[in-house]
Amino acid sequence: MQILKMKISFTEEQNTFRQEIRSWLVANLPKEKLKSLDTKEGFEQHREWEKTLNSGNWSMVTWPKEYGGRGLNLIEWLIFEEEYYRVEAPTRVNQNGVFLLGPTLMEFGTDDQKNKFLNAMASGDHIWAQGWSEPGAGSDMAAIRTTAVLEDGFFVINGQKTWSSRAAYADYTFGLFRTDLESERHHGLSFILAPLDLPGITVRPIPQLDGEPGFAEIYFDDVRVPVENMIGGEGDGWKIAMATAGFERGLMLRSPARFQQTAAKLLSLYLENESQCSPAIQAKIVEAWAKSESYALSIYHTASKMMSGASIGSESSLGKIFWSELDYMMHETALKILGASAELDEEQHQNAAQWIKGFMFSYAGPIYAGTNEIQKNIIAERLLGLPR
Amino acid sequence: MKFVFTEDQLQFQDTMRGFLSQECTPDSIRSGWVDKQPLNQQRWNAIAELGVLGANLSEEDGGLGVDQVALALMVEEMGYVALPEPIAEQSFLINDVLHLFPDQIQDAIRAEFNEGKEYIAVSHPQNPHPVFLSEAKGLIMIDETSCHFVKPSDVSSELIKSNDPSRVLSRILGVKNTISSDDNFQQLNQEINSRGTLLTASLLLGLSQKMLDLSSAYVLDRNQFGKPIGSFQAVKHMLADIAVAIEFARPAVYRASYSLLETNPKSALHCAHAKYMAVKAAELACKNSIQAHGAMGYTWEMDLHIYMRKSWSLMACWGNDDYQQNIIFNTLRSSDDELGVLYTF
Repeated sequence: MQILKMKISFTEEQNTFRQEIRSWLVANLPKEKLKSLDTKEGFEQHREWEKTLNSGNWSMVTWPKEYGGRGLNLIEWLIFEEEYYRVEAPTRVNQNGVFLLGPTLMEFGTDDQKNKFLNAMASGDHIWAQGWSEPGAGSDMAAIRTTAVLEDGFFVINGQKTWSSRAAYADYTFGLFRTDLESERHHGLSFILAPLDLPGITVRPIPQLDGEPGFAEIYFDDVRVPVENMIGGEGDGWKIAMATAGFERGLMLRSPARFQQTAAKLLSLYLENESQCSPAIQAKIVEAWAKSESYALSIYHTASKMMSGASIGSESSLGKIFWSELDYMMHETALKILGASAELDEEQHQNAAQWIKGFMFSYAGPIYAGTNEIQKNIIAERLLGLPR
Repeated sequence: MKFVFTEDQLQFQDTMRGFLSQECTPDSIRSGWVDKQPLNQQRWNAIAELGVLGANLSEEDGGLGVDQVALALMVEEMGYVALPEPIAEQSFLINDVLHLFPDQIQDAIRAEFNEGKEYIAVSHPQNPHPVFLSEAKGLIMIDETSCHFVKPSDVSSELIKSNDPSRVLSRILGVKNTISSDDNFQQLNQEINSRGTLLTASLLLGLSQKMLDLSSAYVLDRNQFGKPIGSFQAVKHMLADIAVAIEFARPAVYRASYSLLETNPKSALHCAHAKYMAVKAAELACKNSIQAHGAMGYTWEMDLHIYMRKSWSLMACWGNDDYQQNIIFNTLRSSDDELGVLYTF
C-alpha cells in the first residue's frame, strides 16, 4: 500500500466542495460593487460581507467548527480562495484577523482567549489592525520601544505604533510591546491585544498613495489593557510574532489564486489590444502565466508537504519575494498595454482605473510583511548559511 | 491532491546522489577533458551495473519501471554533478518513448541497445548535433517528417567542438542504409520533444543548485575588509535571488513529469513551462555565481565553469526559453480553456 502516492489532481470530495462554494458565492455575492474598504462607509459594507460569509461558515474553512470554521485542510482552503478570486469577491477586511492573528491564537492562545476572540473574528464583530512597526522600528522590528508596564492586573501602555494596516476603522490591534523595561532587542517583548476604543488611544489615519487611509498611527497614552489580553507568557512576544510573520509571508496572506486571476485578466487585456502590442508584451504575458502557474504549483506542493507533517519556516521568504515581484510586473505590463489610457479615471476608463489602482498597490508588495531586502537576508542567512 | 513524492521516488534520488558524489567528481571530469575522453567508460559501466541505464524501461523490456517523477529526481542529481555521460537526455529519452517507435525501428533499437545498457544517440531539429556519436551503437534521426534509424558505420560525420569540453558533438554529413518510417510520426515527435525539453530542464535544476552551493561555500571562505564577503548584503542578495528562481522552477519540473506519467493532454505545455522556468533559473545562477566568485570565477582553475558550460549548452538544447515562450504563448492565445485560476490541475 502506497499511502503517499503523488496525485496532482482534485478528489471527488474536493470537486464537490468547489461546487458548494461556487454556488454559495453566486447566491450571496453583493449585487453592487462595495465602496473602498478604506472609507468609513466601505469599511462597514465589508464588515457586513464578513458577517454574510460567516453566516455560511465560510470565514475560515480551515478553522475548527466550534470557532466558525469547517475543519477543512489547506488544499480545501486553496480551492475556496480560487473560487473567491475567480468571481472577484470583496477584499477580506479582516485578513489581519483571520489569516494572521487567527492561526497565532490557535497555536498560542488559551481556551478563554480562543473563545473570546476567534468567534468574534469570524463574525466580523472584531476587525483587526496590525501593530508591529514604530517610528524607530520598521525593518528592525526588535527596536520596539512602546512599553507595557504591569500594574494591578493591567498593562499600562505608552508609546506609538505606525503603518498599522486597517487601524483607521478597526476595533482591535495586536502587536509587540516592551514589557521588560530593562530588556534590549528581541528580549522582553510581549504579544498583546488592545481594543482601539480604550481611553488614552488616539488613532491618526495616514492617507496612502491612492489617497485613502489604509493604515494609521496609533498613540498610546497610559492605556490600560487587562493582562488576560497577552498571548503566551511575558517575554514570549518575539517568538510568537515570528510565527505570525511566517503565516503572513507563507501560505495565508497571498494565496496563488489572486495572481492567477491577475494573469488571466492581463491575457484578456492583451487580446483586446493585440494589434497595438509589440512582441515584448507577448514575453511579459508568458512570464505572467508561467510565474503565477509556478507559484500555484509551489503552494500546492508546500501545502501537501505540510499536510504530511512538514513545517514551513524561512522558505516562506522565497515566496514573498516571488509573488510581490510578479504582481508588480503584471500591473506594469497592463499599463503598457493601456498606453495613453492608463492614466484615466473611473469615469473615463473603468478598466484602466482598476489597473492603475492595482499598480500602485503592487508597489507596496515588496515593502509590507517584511521588505524584500530583509527577506533576502533571511534566505541568505537561514537557508544558505551565510554569516549575519 | 497530494503533491508529494513517494518513499520509492525519494529512494531513487538518494541512491543516485550517493553514487554520483563518489563517481562524478570535478577531478574526474577534468581528467576526461585532458584525455579528450569525456565519456568515461568505467563510469558508464558502473552506472549500468546499478541498473540505472534501463531504469525507465518497463520490466518486460528488462528495466526497473521507474516512473517519470522519480526519473526527474534522478536526473536532477545527474545535473548536480554535471555528469558528462548523456544518460538523461539520450538514454532515458529513448527508453521512455521506445514503445512509440514504428515496429521496424523499435526492433533495430532493441537489437543494439542491450536493454538500455548500450548507447543510442539522438539527433532532432532541437538537438541537431548528436553527442558521443562514436560511442553509439545506433543513431535515431528525427527530421521534419519522419524517423530514421541508422548504424554508426553507415553515418558519415565530422566532429565539431562544443564550448563544453564534456560534450563531443558530431555534424551529420550523410547516411545510408537507414530504416525510415513516418508511422505515428506526429505523436512520436511530440513525445520526444517534450521529454528532451523536460529532461534538460531537470538537469538545469541540478546544475543551478550546484552553482548556488558552490557560490555559498565560496563567499563564506573568501575574506575582504576583514570578514567573509558572504556577510555583505549585496552578495547575499545575489545568491538569495538564485534560491528564489530555483524554488519556483522546481515544482514546474515535477508537475511536468507527473503530466507525462499521467499522459495529461497538456503535457507539452507543462514541459515547455518547466524548461522556461529552469532556463531562467540557470541563467541567473550562472550570472550571479560568477559575480559572487569575482575574478576567481573567471578562471579555468575554478570548478564553477564545469557547471556553467554544461548549463549554457543545455539551456539551448531541446529549445531555449525563447522557443518555450513561443509554445506557451501560442497555447495561451489559441486555447479554449481559460488558462487561469481553474486550469492549473
